[in-house]
Amino acid sequence: MTNVALQSQPLAQGTKRAAPSAKKQRRVARTFQYGALLLYMIFLGFPLLFLILTAFKTPQELQSATPAFLPGQFNWENFAAALDKANLIQALGNSAIVAVSSTVIVTLISLPAAYALARFKTKLRGIATGWILLSQVFPFILIIIPLFMVLKQMGLINSLVGLILVYSVWSLPFALWMLQGYVASIPIELEEAGAIDGGGRLLVLRVIVLPLLAPGLVATSLFSFISSWNEFFFALVLIQDPALQTIPLALARFVGAEGQVQLGQLAAAALLATIPSLVFFAFLQRRLTSGLMSGAVKG
Amino acid sequence: MKRKLATVVTAIAVSGLLASCAGGGSSESSDGPIELTFQSLAYQDTTVAATKDIVDQWNKDNPDVQVKLTQGSWDNVHDQLVTQFQGGTAPDIIHDESSDILGFANQGYLADISEYLSDDVKKSISDDVWDTVTINDKVIAAPTLMQTYVVYANKKVFADAGVELPAGDELQWSDLQKAAKSVTTPDTFGVAWGLKQPTAAVMNTALGFDGTFFDVKDDGTATIDVGENELSVPEFVHSMAYDDASLDPVSLTQSGSDVLPGFLGGKYAMYIGGNFLAQQITESASADFDWTVLPPLAGSAGTVQAANPQTMSVAAESKHPKEAAEFINYWMGADNQAKLAQGDWLIPASADARKVVETETEGQTGWKELLATGENLKGAPFQKAATYPQWKDQYATPSLQQYFADSISADELAKQLTEGWKSVEG
Repeated sequence: MTNVALQSQPLAQGTKRAAPSAKKQRRVARTFQYGALLLYMIFLGFPLLFLILTAFKTPQELQSATPAFLPGQFNWENFAAALDKANLIQALGNSAIVAVSSTVIVTLISLPAAYALARFKTKLRGIATGWILLSQVFPFILIIIPLFMVLKQMGLINSLVGLILVYSVWSLPFALWMLQGYVASIPIELEEAGAIDGGGRLLVLRVIVLPLLAPGLVATSLFSFISSWNEFFFALVLIQDPALQTIPLALARFVGAEGQVQLGQLAAAALLATIPSLVFFAFLQRRLTSGLMSGAVKG
Repeated sequence: MKRKLATVVTAIAVSGLLASCAGGGSSESSDGPIELTFQSLAYQDTTVAATKDIVDQWNKDNPDVQVKLTQGSWDNVHDQLVTQFQGGTAPDIIHDESSDILGFANQGYLADISEYLSDDVKKSISDDVWDTVTINDKVIAAPTLMQTYVVYANKKVFADAGVELPAGDELQWSDLQKAAKSVTTPDTFGVAWGLKQPTAAVMNTALGFDGTFFDVKDDGTATIDVGENELSVPEFVHSMAYDDASLDPVSLTQSGSDVLPGFLGGKYAMYIGGNFLAQQITESASADFDWTVLPPLAGSAGTVQAANPQTMSVAAESKHPKEAAEFINYWMGADNQAKLAQGDWLIPASADARKVVETETEGQTGWKELLATGENLKGAPFQKAATYPQWKDQYATPSLQQYFADSISADELAKQLTEGWKSVEG
């Protein structure tokens, strides 16, 4: 990443060179900034590191009265057991289908809706925004039985379509809320300039708004994907067929009664379940910033 | 590139939707074999395998009645069943535990299977245990495997301290206290007990002192009486932790699984916990770890503990209750129950199955003593008190935690438990 602050700039006429003490202060401040950033990265990364190390430990190491941070040796048995017992590959496939499908649906619906909410100042806008916020306060447990009944009437119990539908509906309000914020942050003058240049509304949307909205779309897609990927309760209630289980249901297999947990196998399974999410995030996160305000300045 | 990516993602989504349209929904052919669904909560690998074997064998022997096995989880079975019952999609055969199914039975979701159960099954289980699954003369489940609280001992710690291991047919609480005191050293506590969730443990073991807590009417309403008998177990625990310093008070804030590493590491000479923890000991202990199970804990009323058996029920909405109950009869066979019990280190409710386990585990560490703890189990009044779960969460658990943290007295504990009950009963 280019660090603009560190690039030497030609001094303008009449400006004085910064005093050595000011330079030193800046260096100290920068050191502190990087130190804080490093600590924050360690703080964020430690759970994942702990998960990786736990996945390689034997039951004896996990139940030791003097636990060691590192495993004695890299033991792959937990991974083999996790794959064998929880039908993990099939569950990963189901989760991928559900998460990708609901993400696509949410994105396709929320994009035009968010634009309309942000740009068209009608009375409906306030009501819609209020309803979106209100819908977020309902706890799952409150709606699960009516939802179950409705889906049963539609023949969508124990099917991935039902789950995709529920996740789409559940993610949509927040995605809409996020995306309309992004739309609102794009200066309307850019669209007006496009219109003056002779572009119709759709052309302006496609050529000017969409590229500027890309980071917002990516953020919204990530939110939708991860919330679907990790969701447990709806899947637990709606899916009964073992062949249709999603990853969170497969992971629950490692937790027993009275607080019993097969920790090594659970960590191995959780690690495998995390990889697709990480890949998806790694692939899209570059686009979070790319294109930000690109094309805003007319050359 | 971007367009390609969008095309691929959309294709995946569409194919996913189309593919998933094909899934779901249990079908039942009108002229094919009867298909029953059975949701099992088996957890240990050995028990999962045993469950699968039993179902496979049944399916092989009964081509006209096929059982489809699905896997549930103890952690969330209640929420799952609530919605399944409400939505009419509950499995035909339901695996759960007696304390959890009573509420469902009261709402009419479980079939009365008394007419379908075989005489062998009825005879092999004590009336006290049948009582835990009987509501208004309706038998709503077959009791399968049972959990008890047992005392595990690290033989090496006893040997190093020159103290003889407690032996005999029973272990009085006062003798446990003496033994714990005699093996306590600056480095080792005599005993530990993971009582993070203390209510169930206290309620179950209080029966050994005739501590019944409740007088329950047929409609589930109850009155509470917290007297000397009810407070016996908490007072023993408190005395060991704070008068003798032989019980690690930190363990009282942990779960049973959290305390286990300390026991395996020689930090505790004895460890009180559910019998299922023996499975974790065998799995996690080092090869040279020398352990045993002590005789059943006994109070003034003997070695009595509350029975909260795992259960096999038939959903009231099942189209084939007779066939489902026939499968349960098969499931309850002594050999099948013995196989399942050994997988989980639990005690079969069936006396015939206990005999099989006794024979098959002869000479193995702990089994003889574990089985002995199952000889004297009976239903406890709290299991039938309708508002017990609410009282447990809102009053009993916090009050017992305060008492075990030495922040309230036994009198205050009794007062809080009593007033809490009056509050939830209205």
